[in-house]
Amino acid sequence: MKKVKVFFNIEKEEKWLNEQLQKGYRCKNISSLGVYTFEKTNKKYVLRLDFQDNLPKNKLEEYKAMYEDFGWTYVKGSGLSGIRYWQKVDNEQNEIFSDRQSKGNYYRRLMAYSFMLGALCLAYSFMLYSDSSLYHEGLWSMNGSLFWKAFIFESPFVLLKLLPVFLVVMFGRSYYKAYQKYSMLKEQ
Amino acid sequence: MKHKLLPLSETMHYILLALREPHHGYAAMQKIEEISKGTVILAAGTLYGAIENLNKHGWIESVGNSGRRKIYKITTDGEAVLKMEQERLLHIISLYEGSD
Repeated sequence: MKKVKVFFNIEKEEKWLNEQLQKGYRCKNISSLGVYTFEKTNKKYVLRLDFQDNLPKNKLEEYKAMYEDFGWTYVKGSGLSGIRYWQKVDNEQNEIFSDRQSKGNYYRRLMAYSFMLGALCLAYSFMLYSDSSLYHEGLWSMNGSLFWKAFIFESPFVLLKLLPVFLVVMFGRSYYKAYQKYSMLKEQ
Repeated sequence: MKHKLLPLSETMHYILLALREPHHGYAAMQKIEEISKGTVILAAGTLYGAIENLNKHGWIESVGNSGRRKIYKITTDGEAVLKMEQERLLHIISLYEGSD
């Protein structure tokens, strides 16, 4: 079974993945374009998303060896996004973090990640919008049905142009969500 | 100001105690489960992060490999930290006893 989905929030993605696993599936592969491949299984599985970027090759090997010793299987991960997908058979040890400090550090890594991507999109937005307006200048001087035709024709392109702004909002939201969880763990 | 890892968290404390003998990560986790009488069972990500952190601060060091795994052992700096923590905890325990 293949499903296509796009997530801007790592915790939502984890929740959705585990909902699929609870229906009796195992995640086989995740492509960078958001194609999730599942297969039917008799065993129950759980999936956990970790966030680790900047792992050089030898560090990555050590990181993987550690998780594998604990029974986790590396489904997918990329240094580019930093999200690491770990799957294992459901038993009494289903978490990848066992204390508050390490869970807090995880949210701090997520905050840094969302912040970086958000800032990148914001910078791109400024570049994109500073040298051209959303609609063509000539559009506003058109009349009647011609105006509406041109307006409707151009609107999809405008929406596409607004994509970076949309992304800034999405990454901003996931930054704020991670911050909330982080400060909750810090306070208690 | 105090070092940012002090006073030691339960996780860090047990890892330093376990690594008085050389162990790779998973073996350290098993050792900790044993010496804590089953009360501290570390998860993979917590152990990985803690080892990274302790290694970064020079309190433990890698002393070899076992396949893809790295074997770690406490350093003299790490032992000094344990000594300090021992004194701190002994003092706290003496306060408990004094109130009897």
